[in-house]
Amino acid sequence: MSLFDAVKRANRPGPPEHSITLRVACAGAVITGIAACRAEGELSWTVAGGSIVLVVVGMVLAYRTREHPLPWIKLILAVSAVAAFVWFFRQLTGQTLYDVSTVENPLAVLFVWVQVAHAFDVPARRDLSFSLAGSASLMAVAAAQAIDLAFGVYVVVWLAFGLAGLLAMWSSASEGGRLRPRGVLATLAAVVVTGTVVLAVLPAPHVAGRIDFPSAAGPGSELPVPGALAGDDGKVAQLAKPGTSAGATRVGGFLGFSDRLDTALRGALGNTVVMRVRADRPSYWIGETFDDWDGASWNQTRAPHSSLRLDEDSPFILPGPGSPPGNAQADLQTFYVVQSSPNLVFHADTAHEVWFPTHDLFVSDSDSIVSPIGLGPGAIYTVESYVHTPTAQQLRAAPGTGAVPASIRVPDTELPHPYARAAALARSVTAHQAGTYDKVESLIGWIATHTHYSTDIPPLAPGQDTVDQFLFGSRTGFCEQISTALAVMLRSIGIPAREAVGYVPGPYDPITDLYDIQAKDAHAWVQVWFPGYGWQSFDPTAVVPLANPSPGSTLWHDATSTLGRLPWVAIGIVLALAFVVTLVVVVRRRRPRTWAEKAARSIEMAGRRARRRRRPDETLTEYAAAIDAWAGDRSGTWQALAAVVEASAYGGRHPAPEEHRRILASMRALRAQQARPGVLVGPGLRRDGAPGRRRSSSPPRGAGGRPSADGDD
Amino acid sequence: MTGRAGREIPIGTIARRRRLVRPIRPVVPLVSCALVLLAWGLVAHNSGAGWVQAVGDVLAGILAVGLVAPAVVAGRAGLVIVEAPSDATSGLPVELVATSNTRLRVKPLHPPGPESFVGPHRTRAGAGSERHTIVDADTGVERAGAITLLPTHRGVHDRVVLELATAAPFGLLWWRKTVVVELPRLLHVGPRLGVPLPLPGGREDTAGGGVLDSSVQIGEPRGVRPYRPGDQRRWVHWPATAHSGELMVREMEGPTAEPVTLEVHLPAEAEAAERMAERAMATVVALVDRGASVLLGTTEDGGPRTGVVGDRRSAGRRLARAVAEGSTPSRR
Repeated sequence: MSLFDAVKRANRPGPPEHSITLRVACAGAVITGIAACRAEGELSWTVAGGSIVLVVVGMVLAYRTREHPLPWIKLILAVSAVAAFVWFFRQLTGQTLYDVSTVENPLAVLFVWVQVAHAFDVPARRDLSFSLAGSASLMAVAAAQAIDLAFGVYVVVWLAFGLAGLLAMWSSASEGGRLRPRGVLATLAAVVVTGTVVLAVLPAPHVAGRIDFPSAAGPGSELPVPGALAGDDGKVAQLAKPGTSAGATRVGGFLGFSDRLDTALRGALGNTVVMRVRADRPSYWIGETFDDWDGASWNQTRAPHSSLRLDEDSPFILPGPGSPPGNAQADLQTFYVVQSSPNLVFHADTAHEVWFPTHDLFVSDSDSIVSPIGLGPGAIYTVESYVHTPTAQQLRAAPGTGAVPASIRVPDTELPHPYARAAALARSVTAHQAGTYDKVESLIGWIATHTHYSTDIPPLAPGQDTVDQFLFGSRTGFCEQISTALAVMLRSIGIPAREAVGYVPGPYDPITDLYDIQAKDAHAWVQVWFPGYGWQSFDPTAVVPLANPSPGSTLWHDATSTLGRLPWVAIGIVLALAFVVTLVVVVRRRRPRTWAEKAARSIEMAGRRARRRRRPDETLTEYAAAIDAWAGDRSGTWQALAAVVEASAYGGRHPAPEEHRRILASMRALRAQQARPGVLVGPGLRRDGAPGRRRSSSPPRGAGGRPSADGDD
Repeated sequence: MTGRAGREIPIGTIARRRRLVRPIRPVVPLVSCALVLLAWGLVAHNSGAGWVQAVGDVLAGILAVGLVAPAVVAGRAGLVIVEAPSDATSGLPVELVATSNTRLRVKPLHPPGPESFVGPHRTRAGAGSERHTIVDADTGVERAGAITLLPTHRGVHDRVVLELATAAPFGLLWWRKTVVVELPRLLHVGPRLGVPLPLPGGREDTAGGGVLDSSVQIGEPRGVRPYRPGDQRRWVHWPATAHSGELMVREMEGPTAEPVTLEVHLPAEAEAAERMAERAMATVVALVDRGASVLLGTTEDGGPRTGVVGDRRSAGRRLARAVAEGSTPSRR
């Protein structure tokens, strides 16, 4: 067969498909894909609603004309498909194609357009299968934009329609075959298990180098004071509410990021997800740094409103090394803002490029990146950082504090007062350490062994110094007290240190491949200046994992931790009891209840020994006769027994008590003889049910009484 | 093994085949699925979008089940023939009623036949009567699950070779296996009617026309029998017809003459033997229709056999069992 003939044969129209179930399932899958795209903001309400209506109309029209498809439909559909592609390429014209997110919305419209057109020409099963496959492409386009687990609802619905469609396809292909409920459940379980295994085995998705740099403005508007910190409401003001001083713990408000960090404040940071982050690796995502300590609060000597302004379009190239220094690794992070946030652009240290949906971006000398617009739910930005983590050996080899430039030494080693006790403590802890790195590690070690972490600490009295109270008072605090104490001790011995605030990675979701950053993940840590390496982060309170966990290890960890918390003793007892009860019920059900059933079982066991299976159309008597013939028994022992059984079971002619006892005796003898290998024939019955020539050693029992309904011997 | 006068199927081949579950035209489905999953995986993995990978995992699960599950179903598939006739004619369809434990596409291999679908059956009580009807459990059609055989040669069959195929649950890829299924009773496939030998005393058509009877009723009436094509209208026994509801004709006792002996010596070559058997069948039928008594001599597995055949059915059975002289007895 030539290639042309093969193609012609492959495109031959198939027989018309009459299954309504299949059409409904295919339409449902396509509509679910359209709805998913709409939910992710890739389609407008008009396009989505109109597409759904047209899909339904097309499917109905195709069903009604399935026997005789309208010839002009294909021409119209071909023209509309060409028009769709022309429109798609025109949408891409002028777009900066380095960012695939600019392609996804037009792509979604293109896919929907093709599905709508195709819905009008689906007369055969093969055409419907193309619709079903096309719905998967719609789901893929929608999934590319999904960042939370709510998308799972669309996946479940689409899966249900898809499976129903596939089962209907099989029913049509097999001329009416249907899976039993047990088969449907087994199929569903197999799909779920296989999908879960694939999910667990595959490594976590990895953002490729230059493919995806999404950014979106969200609902935020331009702030009145460029470069200033502000909340989503655009007010340039203190974002962190100090709370009421009359309260016992001065709680209240939210501890948002501000131009100062008041360590006197106490608050309750909850589990509210504030943003989601897709990153190559978990990092400390810095919001801002503080270099001026006044005993209770950190402030910035280099205010953001006087910072450098970049008048460029995305991506913004930040001041710094043009290429990754040393062994620095590029880390691409995308931040999806979920809650109203201050206009800080969080990033892993050291940010190099920022994709932001504005023409301006402000960068301060303290490495804070400030947005000119408020950041509310829906805002998205992408940052590429050079994550350079020198080794301990390299930091030990770094020059000492004598090589620190004046621009760093002046603000970052100053203290509001000498801190005599803290300085003495620091000197005593680091007395035997020569280099900066070892001194820092010594102090962190001392803090770890001499202090405790707790968020439930008493309020700071007015005028009280945070560090003195923490180091020489309660020795209990959370990240702000701990990091401040470390920074103060370092400054007291002449090592430049500053306070950094931001977020630590929250829980990692293996489905969305995002870190869910919660409010309670806000964190403060210390940065220390090393000549030749810049500001290096040190954190005595948090531990950062080494790499992005794979979905499989995350699932395994979650599963094992959940399993570990279960009350296994109680579960074991319950399972054991259930097993015993089930076993008893099954054994009792399998036990033959009447003598006739026992007799029939004896015959079938004899047949198994003869390797002769009973055919479906074979009566018990015929089967027994075949066994007698196989065993060469001319007296027809088994046949006689079968005849009595059938007469009782179907003819209602129950044997007399005497005969019943003889039958039971014969069965006992037969069973005893069956226990001996190679023996099929035993004593027992003549064809009329009367006792025949005895061949066993045990005589049958005497007569008397009626046979019981249970007929046990 | 099967079809003692038909083609031999090597037992070892069938024994091997029945253990193998193999896919039907798997290249296109497997390659298509592999390409789709590969492309999806590359895009999902490199885009960093976790949900794209998750949806791809679901798709992989569906495709894996759709491609592999039919092999499991096919491996566990079983079929039983519950009804089968005992007589058939070569070249004419024979219908068997079968039931299986799952929906299967059945293709008879030996004897050959067209594909059909067989599924599980259940009984349905007849309305207002105690008679139960066997219906297809999936479609509700009465007595569905028929397998049609088209035997091409005569022979005696105690089992048939079938190819069972399924693509459950999604119809993505068909898997098949070959099974040997026993018939509930022996199926005698008689030869079709060929060109009969010139009959003794038979009048041939003469040039110029005239209707020549090919059979003459002679002798005394000895009873009635059902009408056979070729019987003359004046032989119809109307009272018997009214009584039985079926067209009945008088059967005349043949003349007390020697029965016609027909010795059939089949050649060793199968096709030639088939043609010979067809001629023999046509000759016997023609003689029987004329009311003659036929003594048919054939060679069977047990040796030569001669006996009277009084009707087409018995003639068909005799010729179905006939073998060439000196041939090796075929195994059942």
